[in-house]
Amino acid sequence: MKMESKTQSDNFNLVLDSSDDEAPEEVTFEDSRAQALRSMKQALETARREKELLKEKRRKRQELFQEQKKRKLLPVDVLEEIDSAASKKQKESEDEDFSHGDEGEEDEKTMKRGKKRGRLANSRNLKGNYTVTTVTKEPAASMQQRAAEDFIQSRLYGPGSCRSTNNELLSLQNKTGRNKGAAVQFVKKDWASKEKAKAEKLKKRWIHKQQVSSSC
Amino acid sequence: MGEFKVHRVRFFDYMPSAIRAMAFNSRSERLALARADGAVEVFNFSDNYYQEKVVPGQDGRAVEALCWVGQRLFSAGLNGEITEYDLENLRPKYTMDAYGGPIWTISSNTQGTLLAVGCEDGTVKIFEMLETGIQFQRNLDRQKGRVISLSWHPSGSLIAAGMMDMIRIFDAETGHATHRLLVEKGLGTSNSREVVVWGVVFLSDNTIISGDSAGKVQIWDGLTGTLLHTHLITKWDVLALAVSQDETSLIAGTSEGTVVQFQFLSSTMGQQDKDWVRTRTFKNHSHDVRALVHTDTAVVSGGMDTQLVVRPLLDKVDKNTQESSLRKITFPHKSLVCCAKKAGMLLFQFPDHLEVWRLGDSDGNGKPGDTLPVNRKPEKLIQLNRKGEEHICCSALSPCGGWLAYSTVSSVRLYRLQHDNNNISINKVSKLPKILHSAHQLCFSSDSSKLFASSTNSSVIILSLNQSECKYLHTLKPKSDSRQPIHLLFPSEDGKWLATANTDCEVHVYNLNKLKLHCTVPVYSSCPTAIAIHPTSSNLVTVHADQQMFEYSLVQKEYTDWSRKLQKQGLHPLWLQRDTPITHVTFNPKNPAHIILHDTFMFCIVDQTLPLPEAKAMFHNQMMLRSLPEAERIGQSHAFKICKTFQHLLCVRLLEDHSVVVVERPLLDIQSQLPAPVRQKKFAT
Repeated sequence: MKMESKTQSDNFNLVLDSSDDEAPEEVTFEDSRAQALRSMKQALETARREKELLKEKRRKRQELFQEQKKRKLLPVDVLEEIDSAASKKQKESEDEDFSHGDEGEEDEKTMKRGKKRGRLANSRNLKGNYTVTTVTKEPAASMQQRAAEDFIQSRLYGPGSCRSTNNELLSLQNKTGRNKGAAVQFVKKDWASKEKAKAEKLKKRWIHKQQVSSSC
Repeated sequence: MGEFKVHRVRFFDYMPSAIRAMAFNSRSERLALARADGAVEVFNFSDNYYQEKVVPGQDGRAVEALCWVGQRLFSAGLNGEITEYDLENLRPKYTMDAYGGPIWTISSNTQGTLLAVGCEDGTVKIFEMLETGIQFQRNLDRQKGRVISLSWHPSGSLIAAGMMDMIRIFDAETGHATHRLLVEKGLGTSNSREVVVWGVVFLSDNTIISGDSAGKVQIWDGLTGTLLHTHLITKWDVLALAVSQDETSLIAGTSEGTVVQFQFLSSTMGQQDKDWVRTRTFKNHSHDVRALVHTDTAVVSGGMDTQLVVRPLLDKVDKNTQESSLRKITFPHKSLVCCAKKAGMLLFQFPDHLEVWRLGDSDGNGKPGDTLPVNRKPEKLIQLNRKGEEHICCSALSPCGGWLAYSTVSSVRLYRLQHDNNNISINKVSKLPKILHSAHQLCFSSDSSKLFASSTNSSVIILSLNQSECKYLHTLKPKSDSRQPIHLLFPSEDGKWLATANTDCEVHVYNLNKLKLHCTVPVYSSCPTAIAIHPTSSNLVTVHADQQMFEYSLVQKEYTDWSRKLQKQGLHPLWLQRDTPITHVTFNPKNPAHIILHDTFMFCIVDQTLPLPEAKAMFHNQMMLRSLPEAERIGQSHAFKICKTFQHLLCVRLLEDHSVVVVERPLLDIQSQLPAPVRQKKFAT
């Protein structure tokens, strides 16, 4: 029995020798246990801390959301106004049925100085960019009508219809006609102002690029 | 001729709507024309193509096809309804749902007893004509795929229906399909893209001719259902087909804007076997031709470029006469502009809104022909959107600029405008008399105290206007029993007379002090296009669609000496050859002998003190007169002074400060807003 243990420890030493030149440091059982416990504790703590952080983050976000929601909500008086206006509107339209004594202000007018006082029958502008609109139901007949219109549109102007633009057509007339002229966008000053502005911008950019490249 | 300060107005963005369908009534020689916005117009081809009537459109009522049955006019549209029009009151008489989804085509048999409509759901529905309306009779066998085009055999026993990928022939008695003619797809197109048979024509010798989206015109034998000939005429679609009444000439309209003519000819002289031969191509449109009519003497075409083109087929005529020259009708024959001459304001009428503009101002002085600097720019004061779905049919602005009225087919609205320097307010006059429910024509008296509205049976309703209210005064009725609508109204400057003209060519003059008919001008065969009463001499000037001009004295109740002289000598041929009607007559308050007239291409001042031009005299002689010394000018000058500096005129008016307002609408501006044309390769471009 003793022999056996000896050979075993010899073997152990052999193994250690082969891995390291130095003699093995003597580690007591207590020490290693304490270390293991410590590391375990540390790991637990970090996990807990992370959880807490996450919780905190969530809480903060929740708070933010709530605050935003609060901000988005309209003030109470505005909401009340909508409510009263809607009911008034209804009454008005009921009145209209038997006498057309409605007020002229309902027609959309664009006043001078670009001030729009327009109000559609089924929508209402409030302070800021909010519009309250009632949803109108579309009858099936108009759906069919739209489908039929789309059919013509796709047949005449859809893909594969080989269409050009009016600009091209008129410019071609200028080019081949008896009185030769430049393309329409040059003859008519107000034609295609958007495209012209874009072209101008691109030209400036190009010139700038040329200058930069020539200087360096 | 005199010098005027001219306000050259180019801010009226008038945009005509595309022509969608046409139908010709050969007995009354009336052409009915439907536009994409749902408006239906009637042109009188026997009276210089005058646009007699306009039925305003409505939102959502897209007319897809038109059909005359006797004197009754029917339309059908993609909203699935058949509409009959009341051409006396210029409104739809009734609409009837066909319950087959959107309707693509409508066609009546030659007997005028049955009406067939082709629906989206693949049915052909037959309606019976009744005295007061139409009644559903039955459906023909239902097929798969929409029915795009229909044509009755002249005997009324068979119907050919153009569908997707095929043509079907139905027996009208039993309602069963007897033949199915398959139309092949075009070369190079994908198999999934179906061929649409846009047009089909059934001839009395049982030949069927079809035009389709592959660009083919095909000739079929209707008895055996076999294809006889194929003519490939375009790379795009053949959108419309029409045949002459004697069935010897056929025309096909294409997306390219061309109209191709085929004639039934024998290939060699003297032989009996005749064939359809492609003969001529007309190119009068820049965009798709969507509607065609073949009258006995002319090809009438219309399409996306909004112009109505009449191309006479009188080829053997050498001389370029009125009958053989091409006509293009671009602008309506009714003025869409109203001018408040005291306030210097303009009212522009669009189908869905009205615009009120204040004219610009300039205090500069310059030589004739100079452009003056603009001190104050013209500004848009008001844009008034109409209410409801019906389009505006007429509108008026009072001379003081304080009142604005417009009418749709079912209601009249009156507004009070108040404007000081920077503020403008508009208030609706709330309580209008019940009697005023619609008007064909509206007009304010020159002192803005009365509103005249033309109503049913050529009657005129007079309303008095106070500070903010409107009261009914009287209804003027003519003695004649004409039921036609009044299309012209003119109150005299002094408030004593009111002249009216209706489409029966009757001109009535009422005395507004006594509120009764003063006289009826002898009826002339051509419809009046403009009337006016001279402010001082109370002579009524009428100009007619055939370009004749009359002056009638209201005091003596007879034609004036000048008018007799004009009729005796006759108008100059160049005057008679103009192809647009005079749309407005006015007078120069500075010189009472001057009459100012305008059409689309010129405005003219007629000086009644000068001699009338001889038929051989030079008509446009202003340039020549300018080169002559002062003394010789008098001997050479004649009464007609014509100015062509301004073109495509919609309105010429004289303001109170003796300046002239001309409203131009250059055709280029209209063309630039049209939908896309087809791409065509031109050699060497």
